Amino acid sequence: MLLPVFTLKLRHKISPRMVAVGRYDGTHPCLAAATQAGKVFIHNPHTRSQHFSASRVFQSPLESDVSLLNINQAVSCLTAGVLNPELGYDTLLVGTQTNLLAYDVYNNSDLFYREVADGANAIVLGTLGDISSPLAIIGGNCALQGFDHEGNDLFWTVTGDNVHSLALCDFDSDGKKELLVGSEDFDIRVFKEDEIVAEMTETEVITSLCPMYGSRFGYALSNGTVGVYDKTARYWRIKSKNHAMSIHAFDLNSDGVCELITGWSNGKVDARSDRTGEVIFKDNFSSAIAGVVEGDYRMDGHIQLICCSVDGEIRGYLPGTPEMRGNIMDTSVEQDLIRELSQKKQNLLLELRNYEDNAKAELSSPLSEADGHRGVIPANTKLHTALSVNLGSAAQAAHTELCISTSNDTIIRAVLIFAEGIFLGESHVVHPSIHNLSSSIRIPITPPKDVPVDLHLKTFVGYRSSTQFHVFELTRQLPRFSMYALTSPDSASEPPSYVNFIIAERAQRVVMWLNQNFLLPEDTNIQNAPFQVCFTSLRNGDQLFIKIKLSGEITINTDDIDLAGDIIQSMASFFGIEDLQVEADFPVYFEELRKVLVKVDEYHSVHQKLSADMADNSNLIRSLLVRAEDARLMRDMKTMKSRYMELYDLNKDLLNGYKIRCNNHTELLGSLKAVNQAIQRAGRLRVGKPKNQVISACRDAIRSNNINTLSESCGWGQLLRRRGENR
Amino acid sequence: MDLNLNRMDYLQVGVTSQKTMKLLPASGNRATQKVVVGDHDGIVMCFGMKKGEAVTVFKTLPGQKIARLELGGVLNTPQEKIFIAAGSEIRGFTKRGKQFLSFETNLTESIKAMHISGSDLFLSASYIYNHYCDCKDQHYYLSGDKINDVICLPVERVLRDIPVLACQDRVLRVLQGSDVMYEIEVPGPPTVLALHNGNGGDSGEDLLFGTSDGKLGLIQITTSKPIHKWEIRNEKKRGGILCVDSFDIVGDGVKDLLVGRDDGMVEVYSFDNTNEPILRFDQTLSESVTSIQGGCVGKAGYDEIVVSTYSGWVTGLTTEPIHKESGPGEELKINPEIQNKISSLRSELEHLQYKVLQEREKYQQSSQSSKAKSAVPSFSINDKFTLNKDDASYSLILEVQTAIDNVLIQSDVPIDLLDMDKNSAVVSFSSCDSESNENFLLATYRCQANTTRLELKIRSIEGQYGTLQAYVTPRIQPKTCQVRQYLIKPLSLHQRTHFIDHDRPMNTLTLTGQFSFAELHSWVVFCLPEVPEKPPAGECVTFYFQNTFLDTQLESTYRKGEGVFKSDNISTISILKDVLSKEATKRKINLNISYEINEVSVRHTLKLIHPKLEYQLLLAKKVQLIDALKELQVHEGNTDFLIPEYRCILEEADHLQEEYKKQPAHLERLYGMITDLFIDKFKFKGTNVKTKVPLLLEILDSYDQNALIAFFDAA
Repeated sequence: MLLPVFTLKLRHKISPRMVAVGRYDGTHPCLAAATQAGKVFIHNPHTRSQHFSASRVFQSPLESDVSLLNINQAVSCLTAGVLNPELGYDTLLVGTQTNLLAYDVYNNSDLFYREVADGANAIVLGTLGDISSPLAIIGGNCALQGFDHEGNDLFWTVTGDNVHSLALCDFDSDGKKELLVGSEDFDIRVFKEDEIVAEMTETEVITSLCPMYGSRFGYALSNGTVGVYDKTARYWRIKSKNHAMSIHAFDLNSDGVCELITGWSNGKVDARSDRTGEVIFKDNFSSAIAGVVEGDYRMDGHIQLICCSVDGEIRGYLPGTPEMRGNIMDTSVEQDLIRELSQKKQNLLLELRNYEDNAKAELSSPLSEADGHRGVIPANTKLHTALSVNLGSAAQAAHTELCISTSNDTIIRAVLIFAEGIFLGESHVVHPSIHNLSSSIRIPITPPKDVPVDLHLKTFVGYRSSTQFHVFELTRQLPRFSMYALTSPDSASEPPSYVNFIIAERAQRVVMWLNQNFLLPEDTNIQNAPFQVCFTSLRNGDQLFIKIKLSGEITINTDDIDLAGDIIQSMASFFGIEDLQVEADFPVYFEELRKVLVKVDEYHSVHQKLSADMADNSNLIRSLLVRAEDARLMRDMKTMKSRYMELYDLNKDLLNGYKIRCNNHTELLGSLKAVNQAIQRAGRLRVGKPKNQVISACRDAIRSNNINTLSESCGWGQLLRRRGENR
Repeated sequence: MDLNLNRMDYLQVGVTSQKTMKLLPASGNRATQKVVVGDHDGIVMCFGMKKGEAVTVFKTLPGQKIARLELGGVLNTPQEKIFIAAGSEIRGFTKRGKQFLSFETNLTESIKAMHISGSDLFLSASYIYNHYCDCKDQHYYLSGDKINDVICLPVERVLRDIPVLACQDRVLRVLQGSDVMYEIEVPGPPTVLALHNGNGGDSGEDLLFGTSDGKLGLIQITTSKPIHKWEIRNEKKRGGILCVDSFDIVGDGVKDLLVGRDDGMVEVYSFDNTNEPILRFDQTLSESVTSIQGGCVGKAGYDEIVVSTYSGWVTGLTTEPIHKESGPGEELKINPEIQNKISSLRSELEHLQYKVLQEREKYQQSSQSSKAKSAVPSFSINDKFTLNKDDASYSLILEVQTAIDNVLIQSDVPIDLLDMDKNSAVVSFSSCDSESNENFLLATYRCQANTTRLELKIRSIEGQYGTLQAYVTPRIQPKTCQVRQYLIKPLSLHQRTHFIDHDRPMNTLTLTGQFSFAELHSWVVFCLPEVPEKPPAGECVTFYFQNTFLDTQLESTYRKGEGVFKSDNISTISILKDVLSKEATKRKINLNISYEINEVSVRHTLKLIHPKLEYQLLLAKKVQLIDALKELQVHEGNTDFLIPEYRCILEEADHLQEEYKKQPAHLERLYGMITDLFIDKFKFKGTNVKTKVPLLLEILDSYDQNALIAFFDAA
């Protein structure tokens, strides 16, 4: 059994995920963590009597070995590490929704203080790809930015949605680190510098990522899932009803391989084998875990695993000694093994008895009422499932329909569908009332996103009076584009927006792709190329045209740029296309984008104006206050009163101004997000190299604030490349 | 002294009932004892441990489910004869497994509890108690509610038969012959009785009881009256008590109290100088502990606690330390005994697996034929659906002999499903289309591997009644599920009690009409929990109830053709009136319902609610302040500048937060009940005041007792 080697109880709360250990003076490890009221505390148990008297840092009144750093804003991310290799000690980095501070704790000075418009939701420190100096990389609203120790913006790119987690990991085993980005659209993206090399779709918002070793990394989702990936393949995952607050890789059993340490919202900490997810160690705190880090906190040359709870409890664990042979849990292995084997035996015996009972039941008389009650059904009962598109009626919106029916007079008592991402929870239940029981059930399904989903069905089959039911378990896959119904082409409604590209595939293969990804009626018969198919979206009735010419040229007409991107990515993976150049035109979308860009400019100018106003007002306040006090000293109560009234009004104005500024800021953030997403979307219309070129071109366009180049680069990737070459 | 006990699993039999495992007294010069256990397959098994290996002494053939197993023998000799109760039959075995007795009692119900003393046999079925001497019928008693356990004070010490029945209606009934000598009210439905110290303590009259809501107590049963000695309240909200035993496991010469609970908790209490129990040790097993006894089984010289669990595990918690002899660089030695055990288990498994594969194939083939039938394997579910007095919520406990895969909870009434920290299952709420399919709640619990027990908490609303269904799917092949139904009654938050305050202002509802006593009883059963389904003996009966949330009361007295319900809470009367008239219309029975409303009662109820409401409001306010105060504390360094009230909040912060967490939505529930009270008051007057409800909520938001009462009076 592994026991903590030290336990501390600090009287400061710790904000979740915002804990870091650093040697801020180069030798003594200190724990820095964000706490309440926009403060960061630094716990320094080694060097006492180091009092800071600067404005930013002050000694905690509660504990002698804790100093507090005033940020005056809610801290949104925090880390520590070597940012300037020449300094020889660690830097503390604190991100908020508007700024990033790189702070030199030892000298009590700022390395840099940068405004970041996209906010900083997550931060990671380290070297990325070929960039030589360490970078502090922050992830905000759809944007990623990397700063060196001088605050120079050396790395900038966009991603699909708000960033929630970052990690550096050697993903492709080339000796250089790639950036893993977990975002709000459930995707984990891998950036090799600014090029996306891989994308994995998960089932919820990715809240944490951590590198394990080699190309392996751990992840945690907001629905309580944690797991391990090796490159793009998921090794294992488990789901708990609690939330994983923090994950960290640490070799706790000294076997040379890191385990995934997870700190949970219920105060549990567990270590899981990276290969199987099996729990090898666990411990409990009295409150939720805020962070899991590592460091030589006792300064005895051994690295400890350090777990912190939100209530300020800190425990350090030393890895198990080799003598413990990985057996660091309380229970003895043999006892567990025996228990497990016995349980297996009991289960097999039960199963065997079930078959015996079944044989007995078979011998007895034909199916009777009592049998039905006990749940005896004909052995040849089969379950049919069919997926189809239902165009809906006045009472019900259009949806995809799953039809389940039994092959005889047995009834379906209930259907449980376990599927990720398409229901509110992880399951959907259909339980008809006792009066409406029948042998077939139609279940409407409306997946919110175009992703292929596995539906795990559990169907309870029996008779009306049964108290026991047979459970039929089967899995059906919902195709990616199940929410599109095949309709007869009507060229009048053909959307003006399109993408156009050429692939070297036979038409039959395209038909195969269609069959796999759409719910086509069974009698659909598609002739050879050239042909065109038309779909209607069940969500909003929009049209989608896919036209294939003899030459292999494919044109997709749709107003939905996301859909076009999805189709291209789906085709690319189906046909194994590595590079695909595309001609695209989305006039409506580009027009909107143009408007957004104009708005961004407006917001910026409003922001500047408001800031100036605020500065003016504060000057005014100062003078008013002085004048009011003067009046008071001169016992001119009337003037004093009127001055204070003015002050009061001014204060109200300031408050209002602040509200406007807040609104302006949120609007600005929203618009910036839209811009970043537009770049991402333009990228998704291409595959491979052209994709990266488009993204970098767009970025350049935004930097130079050139709206026309931007829309051009979104549309004519080809053209842009030429331009890029000319430069 | 610290008590350290190590767990050793001995073997697994079938599913076991409460009190079906015993240790035979050590015989001859052997120090270790043998274990005898009976299971639901009807098999009695006796085994001893030899070098870590279970050696069977005897094993009977399967038969009817064994409900109890007791040891007996001639008084003042070792009690080593084995008696089992299965169905309506009592069988006796010698310690070698020879059957010497088979006694068919001819009881109409199957036997639930048994006590043996010499040649006296005390039996109880659901409602019937019978005393036999040498298998001849002596005494008989018909109880008003279910009998959970029966015991008789040691006849060799108190010199006459004093049987005690533990009845579901929270009463211990002390008998004399066929009559009740007196009744003792206990704090919860008693589930188990045992003699203190195994012999009734100093006087021979000390009786231990355990309740289904986890309370323990000691009562001295004197000839004239009961003397309550001590009681352990269930502060930690642990499970109900299934078994107790007295054994000196600590080794201080005083027998300790061993307790097994239905949430898998095993506890050891020792006694201090004042004979008050103190918790010395607890350990949790993952499933119900059905029997517990102290003794020595695994290794001579080491005392242990032997328990049997619901799924049939016989496990020892032994004082024998687990040695791990391994120096550095040396291979960890696995105990050869254990190694043997593992390898034999493995080979057994292999054999079984092969057999199962064959059978599985056969089963698959049978599905091709059109005539064949496919039966569902039956599995037993141990379930409990009880009302907790403390937070006025129901807890549903489901326990299956094998691991549970998932549970579907469906309800046709609006209820709240609360999260339990104990559960590791992933819950997912599904959307319900309540109109067409009568679903108000659809939730799935996907259990983690090896979960055999699931506990849920449910909050009901009085007046809303219907059925809650649980579809339990275990991880066995072929996959099946079983459905269990639980009734949410109209007055679901009421609990039986035996005394009420007659001085309160009461509202009365009187029913008259052409109905029988049994019919009216069935309506009462329909409306209220904890009423025995069987109509009680006699012509007229009175039941008392208490509202667990508001502490208001209900008195129901009825006979053929007339029923009178009295409550100080108008809402209770209103619900009864609605439900009864609806039921009567459904059954086409002509009912005359008359009621008498006491205006004072409303004010009285509001006064009852007042302290609760005030406490909750204050608590909510305090909890809201905690974070801000803590921040101030961090900023200023000390709390001297705060007013005492705030300092007090800071000091009690943890406690306050815990208290607040314990009662989620308590305030909303109180508001709901006050609103109901308001509507019901005026409903009886024939006015609809629903439009004034927003006004009432406004008053509640800035609560003041007098303003509220004034509003009730004025409206």
